[in-house]
Amino acid sequence: MPLVATDALVLHAFDYLETSRILRLATREFGVQSVLARGARRSSQRFGTALDLFAEGVAQLDLRPGRELQTLSGFEVLRVRPGLASDMGRFTAAAALSECVQRLVIEEHAPVAFDIIRLALDGLTEAAADRVVPLTVGALWELVGELGFAPALESCASCHEALPAGEGAPFSHAAGGALCARCATRAPGARRLPAAAVVALQEWVAGRRPGLVSDAEARAHQRLLREFLGEHLLDARGLQAYATWEQGRWS
Amino acid sequence: MSAIDDLTTELARLPGIGRKTAQRLTYHLLKQPADQSRRLAQALVTLVDTVRTCTRCFNLTEAPLCSICSDGRRDGTLVCVVEDAADIAAIERAGEFRGRYHVLGGRLSPLDGVGPDDLTIGALLARIPEDEVTEVILATNPSLEGEATALYIQRQLAPLGVRVTRIARGLPVGGDLEYADGVTIAQALQARRDM
Ligand SMILES: [Zn+2]
Ligand SMILES: [Zn+2]
Repeated sequence: MPLVATDALVLHAFDYLETSRILRLATREFGVQSVLARGARRSSQRFGTALDLFAEGVAQLDLRPGRELQTLSGFEVLRVRPGLASDMGRFTAAAALSECVQRLVIEEHAPVAFDIIRLALDGLTEAAADRVVPLTVGALWELVGELGFAPALESCASCHEALPAGEGAPFSHAAGGALCARCATRAPGARRLPAAAVVALQEWVAGRRPGLVSDAEARAHQRLLREFLGEHLLDARGLQAYATWEQGRWS
Repeated sequence: MSAIDDLTTELARLPGIGRKTAQRLTYHLLKQPADQSRRLAQALVTLVDTVRTCTRCFNLTEAPLCSICSDGRRDGTLVCVVEDAADIAAIERAGEFRGRYHVLGGRLSPLDGVGPDDLTIGALLARIPEDEVTEVILATNPSLEGEATALYIQRQLAPLGVRVTRIARGLPVGGDLEYADGVTIAQALQARRDM
């Protein structure tokens, strides 16, 4: 069977039986994989003592097609991110990011998606409180774009007419983005986004991470992203880590 | 479903036991003297009927208070906070600690839907004035979630004016520096002390 090595980072880790752990890994070459690390709780020889949540390194996988749980035969830990545990905002944001990544369908070779996740976690590791939402929401919007679901922002999501730059616009989750004034009248539930919000979305999808001015803005963006993901990409009802982060009750 | 199938199904629910092993165990229990199997059944019933959590520290016990909480020689002003009752056994084996414990019942994990209300943090806060606790040692696991849990509890304890400490991390005793991973070595260097 094929033994492969790939860059990987731990999205979720939980103990399995007395001595093993099951991990969800984001990998550069094989998308998101569930793997069994036999003996990982007892022996640090093969997996390193630091094979923890959000750790990153080179994973040796025993990949068998059609299996739900693959075997992790080794993991060389190159980077851990203790900074994510030194602030509740960062900790819950990283968990929310991980949860969304696990729900998005990322299969096969996904080097760009892998780097978006990796860099987002790096940024969060030392992020000041006001940078946490832009980094997290921004990374997820970029990921959404990478998966081909970017919202329409420059032109109307419905009739594709160019939208005036630098202005706010009605935004419809069902239509898949911003709308022109004419189409907005036929789209019940469309919500008006201020000009700054449209610009922020454009920048985030393009991979840049401008900050936000206020907490209210940050909360509005958390909600907008959750609604968009729920409409297009995943079942948002069970997003418990995202809810913890959005409600900010642990901070 | 027959009695054999019933037991096989129940045994197969146990960690590390597959369907085949469960079947083998079932036939073994049938083959051995009936009294021996009855004793096993009785031990299971007694276990689930009598073992509960200590009303003070949430350690496992058969009495209202666990053996550590009811031991007058233990220092009640010093409380060591652990994730699970099994961690108590590990610390007790070291024979070093003379205070009492507090079992959280897990660690904060947004990804698993475990929040502060799912742990015994509220009961810990209530213990501080009740038991006149002067120091709380946070001995959650040195994992990311264990660290976040320690941080959260430290914040909750701060207004109570109690001393809060965190167990140190580093190289395993008897281990070989050559085989330690870089992360562990880095943390051991960070936690170095004067000699
Ligand atoms: Zn239009
Ligand atoms: Zn007790």
